[in-house]
Amino acid sequence: MIYLIDHEDSFTYNLAHLLDSIEPTVVSNYYEINYKKLHKASTIVLSPGPGEPKDYPLTSEIYKKYKGKKKILGICLGFQHIVHSEGGKIVQQKNILHGYQSRIKIISDKSIFNKNSDLLGGRYHSLKLEEPFISKSMTITMRCTKTNVAMAIEDDINQVYGFQFHPDSFLTPNGKYLIKKIISR
Amino acid sequence: MLNNKEYLDKLYQSDKSIIIYKNDTGFEVYTDFSKKIIIDKKNIKNFLNIQSKEKSSRIDGLNCYIGFFGYKLLCENIGIKLPKQKTTNFYSGLFYKPKTKISIGKKIIIKSTKTNFRNIKTNTKKYSKLNKNFNLNLTLQQYSKLFDDFSKNIKQGKTYQIKIAQTYSKKGNINAIDLFWQLMQINESPESFLIRDKGYSIISCSPETLLLKKGDLIKTKPIAGTLRKTKKINHNKALAFFRRNEKETKEHNMIVDMERNDLSKICKTGSVKIDKLKKVEEYRDLFHYVTTIKGVLKNKITNHDIISSLMPGGSVIGCPKISTIQLLNQKEKSDRNIYTGSFGIIHSNGDMRFNIMIRTLLNFKNAIELSVASGVILGSTAKKEYNENYIKAKSLLDLFN
Repeated sequence: MIYLIDHEDSFTYNLAHLLDSIEPTVVSNYYEINYKKLHKASTIVLSPGPGEPKDYPLTSEIYKKYKGKKKILGICLGFQHIVHSEGGKIVQQKNILHGYQSRIKIISDKSIFNKNSDLLGGRYHSLKLEEPFISKSMTITMRCTKTNVAMAIEDDINQVYGFQFHPDSFLTPNGKYLIKKIISR
Repeated sequence: MLNNKEYLDKLYQSDKSIIIYKNDTGFEVYTDFSKKIIIDKKNIKNFLNIQSKEKSSRIDGLNCYIGFFGYKLLCENIGIKLPKQKTTNFYSGLFYKPKTKISIGKKIIIKSTKTNFRNIKTNTKKYSKLNKNFNLNLTLQQYSKLFDDFSKNIKQGKTYQIKIAQTYSKKGNINAIDLFWQLMQINESPESFLIRDKGYSIISCSPETLLLKKGDLIKTKPIAGTLRKTKKINHNKALAFFRRNEKETKEHNMIVDMERNDLSKICKTGSVKIDKLKKVEEYRDLFHYVTTIKGVLKNKITNHDIISSLMPGGSVIGCPKISTIQLLNQKEKSDRNIYTGSFGIIHSNGDMRFNIMIRTLLNFKNAIELSVASGVILGSTAKKEYNENYIKAKSLLDLFN
């Protein structure tokens, strides 16, 4: 079972349908987390949402508690949650992108996806990961081909994955493939 | 005895309560209401899930309720409390059960369970002519201030897109029927409607279908993207404009993903599909950019679940819905009233059709009001959006001399 924490976003259920088509998924509002169910889940997914990671301290706690014990996937704000918990800084970006489709390239051989291939991704974010981002276990594996902004991080040993773009958006034609590869890993 | 046409004319000239709703082939006119139910946050669930399902008429077309939910009620229904705002204390929501239905298409067809429904008295009330001078609640300067504040909120990631509403108002009383048919001549929009009741009237040329539910199939048709019409621009040029225009495209993309989300809440996994992506629709003063999204409802989803998931309609608020409504509430000084609420029909078999109440004029307590909104999105300017609002209001403002 996948447990999806909804940070009251208007895209969460697009993600829920994607996940549920792969493995049964429970969606829960950030303010109504069911810790028993969460504990039983095989994968925890952190949804997109407004604001920044520090607005949602419970999510950071959950991340720290379950990192390395369960598979964790973060989308957009969820991605930012992961890098924030790993000591990264989230800052405003110059060009704010809401509803944009960008070309994204896989740049690392540590990625579970094929290095040097690229894909189209839908983006809805005002904030980004400040770089350099230094982490022992995490690698930035995808970047926007135009702005070079970090689009994905992966830590395959602890099974933590994050996308700054939205695999759930209709602007990401191969979104399901990305999610499926992670869930079935 | 009056023939159907004469009866209809006399009905218009009477002081009877009446509702007119545009459909695919013409108009439906409803009258002789046996029930009138005020809807508030306490009874909305019961009304949708129980009361509206009662089958009380032997004529199928009359087993329905027609009416509207105001914006405030729809916010309260999803757990958002609105702060104290300037209000006219108009109905929070109101639904009518008809005993007579007149379908205007190629022919006029009347169905009624009322005896002697053709007996009606003509009203002699005279209306004075109204001029075009409306007050606007926000100056360009005030609008720009809001625009800047919300732009900051977007940069902070608190909202991705937010729609500022403006209200045109003036004193006076309208002859709703006359104005409605005038409006239909110049701008017959797919979700047009009229309500004339004692004490108030509403006329609308809304273009936006929020939901269409038939059996377990559901559809929504969000509009995002507006282009002013000129002699030089035809349908194809409008399409080329929208495709090229980054601001319109990203605004539209966001609404498509948001409406997919709202449908996904209540639909079976994998059933939500984009039916027609990014089509251009043509109206008197403008072109709109429209997408149709559909899905198959999950088992055990109630009409209240559907209303709660889709209303208030996202395209007139911004995204994400909840945080954006909260930001709007901090800044909008007067209540939106019926604006961005929904008008529509609920059949006793559970089928529903609802619009979003935009391009909608309310006449209540000797005051006429009309609101419009456009989006704060980075890359646009306050002045441009301020002017876009005027184009949206124009076909209704033009009804006044």
